[in-house]
Amino acid sequence: MLPEWGQVGFLLLLALLFPIGGIGFSWLLGRLGIRPERPDRVKEDTYECGVETEGTAWVQFNFRYYYFALLFVIFDVEAVFLYPWAVSPQRLAVAGFVEVLTFVAILFIGLAYAWRKKALEWL
Amino acid sequence: MTDVIRLGPELALLIAAGLIVLMDIALPVSREAARTKRALGFALALAGVAGSIGWSAVLIAADEQGEAFSGTLVVDDFSLFFNFLLAGITGMIVLASADLLARTRFHAEYLALVLASATGMMLMAGAVDLIAIFVALELQSICLYVLVGFLKDSRSAEASLKYLLLGAVSTALTLYGMAYLFGLSGATGLRDIAEFVSASGGDSGTRAALVLATVFLAAGLGFKMAVVPFQMWVPDVYQGAPTPVTAYLSVASKAAGFAVVMRIFLVALGEGLISSDWATMFAVIAAVSMTAGNLMALVQTDIKRMLGYSSIAQAGTFLIGLAAVAAQDPQLLLGASSVVFFLGAYAFTNLGAFIAVIAISQKIASDEIADYAGVAKRSPWLAAGLAACLISLTGIPPTAGFIAKVYVFNAAVQADLVWLALIGVLNGVVSAYYYLRVVLNMYAQEPASEETFQPSLSLGVAMAIAVAGMFLIGIYPNPLIQASESAAAVFG
Repeated sequence: MLPEWGQVGFLLLLALLFPIGGIGFSWLLGRLGIRPERPDRVKEDTYECGVETEGTAWVQFNFRYYYFALLFVIFDVEAVFLYPWAVSPQRLAVAGFVEVLTFVAILFIGLAYAWRKKALEWL
Repeated sequence: MTDVIRLGPELALLIAAGLIVLMDIALPVSREAARTKRALGFALALAGVAGSIGWSAVLIAADEQGEAFSGTLVVDDFSLFFNFLLAGITGMIVLASADLLARTRFHAEYLALVLASATGMMLMAGAVDLIAIFVALELQSICLYVLVGFLKDSRSAEASLKYLLLGAVSTALTLYGMAYLFGLSGATGLRDIAEFVSASGGDSGTRAALVLATVFLAAGLGFKMAVVPFQMWVPDVYQGAPTPVTAYLSVASKAAGFAVVMRIFLVALGEGLISSDWATMFAVIAAVSMTAGNLMALVQTDIKRMLGYSSIAQAGTFLIGLAAVAAQDPQLLLGASSVVFFLGAYAFTNLGAFIAVIAISQKIASDEIADYAGVAKRSPWLAAGLAACLISLTGIPPTAGFIAKVYVFNAAVQADLVWLALIGVLNGVVSAYYYLRVVLNMYAQEPASEETFQPSLSLGVAMAIAVAGMFLIGIYPNPLIQASESAAAVFG
């Protein structure tokens, strides 16, 4: 048992050494004057390529996004759960079908509730 | 079909919760409809609770016991005991919430969340598979996070956020412990894990990993049981949450937490070579919880905070029973049954105390203990009820708290944990100071105003049930002792 855990520990050590070694080596080269250091605006950008960033990340988002995100996650998860059933409905027979129906019915109550409470409306 | 029948008590609550939400969205939005909705929701919630209790009774009468859903859930004397206990507590909480519901427009949400969380708690007591246990744990926790923030004022929101963050950490710890157990044994069923532990627990590497898993599980579930050093959230959450939810947290959530701990530790990790390790751990946590909880309760001026710290101390007392379980193998059942008995007795006592606090505090518009001065003159029955419950929490006969403490201390002494029993008794003396200070305040001080008041009907009924149950257990404890012995026998 212990040797197997030792392998995990070795991996952990390696995982820690890898970034520390890289950053440390780069720092050392910088100190010795071997690595050039010429920052410019493009290099300092958040994304060196792609869409140019606009403003800071510290802005207020409309909290209504939260409702949509929440509902999206729920139905996303529903889809994930339906896949394993959809692959073998014959083997799972009637019992499986009833279980899936129950699951969807419970989610439907949630959707009906959100709809009725105007969570889906963008005021 | 047997599966569904055995899941009946939980399903009854869940169906009631679903119907309440459907009823809320089907009826029109208007002031008159709001009153109908409230009454209907109230009736549906109580019907769900009654259905759940009735179904549990049918399961007993039909002797319908055994595993369900491929061995993830089980119906046995232990889970049936907790079905009755938790459904009963939920019913009382619904009754005690009547005044709160009159002041909010979210009746349906509140009742549905309470019922859904009760479903989770029942599943916690009945689950014998790590995955099922985890799902049940989350079902009850997530509902409770919302309920704690139900008042939507700054204090309630703060309490909810704290509970959510610390709850998430505790969940992560629990899951980590479960992952270790699964990684070692390759099984999620508690019985399979138990087999693995007894087969290869002697290996020193395995044993070290098992102890690690045990510590993670105890830490994660310690949050749910609210024992030191995992108690940081208790005072703030208890103070900020609506008082019925505080009562629910302190009684039902705690009982369910202990049920899960007993299931995991006694079934999966009950093997002698590992249980001697966690028994010592629980003994230390018990001693620290009792002492720290009581000492901090001494200086509280807010009655909900005081009851919060007192519930930490009480949880420490429950843990004595758990520590006594493994210290000596033949005593396994005595320790376990003492915890189960204590949970039952504590439910009545603490519910009674909280319901009295709900009724008194909303009238005098304050939770300060100083403002309870002279309440005995203004509302003699409520004051008497609260005094009786506080006396029971102290552990003075002829109340339920006395029998429960004797039971637990007896288990400790039988298991050679005399020092722990001694600490428990000393703590009982300390706790008498702050419990009886409230009683003294109510009876010996002059009231701020002469106006008398009565609790609402549903609060009065809930209060009467709690106090009557408490005295009944104190005077004639045999039925509950027998029930808790047969509940504990499933671990034999």
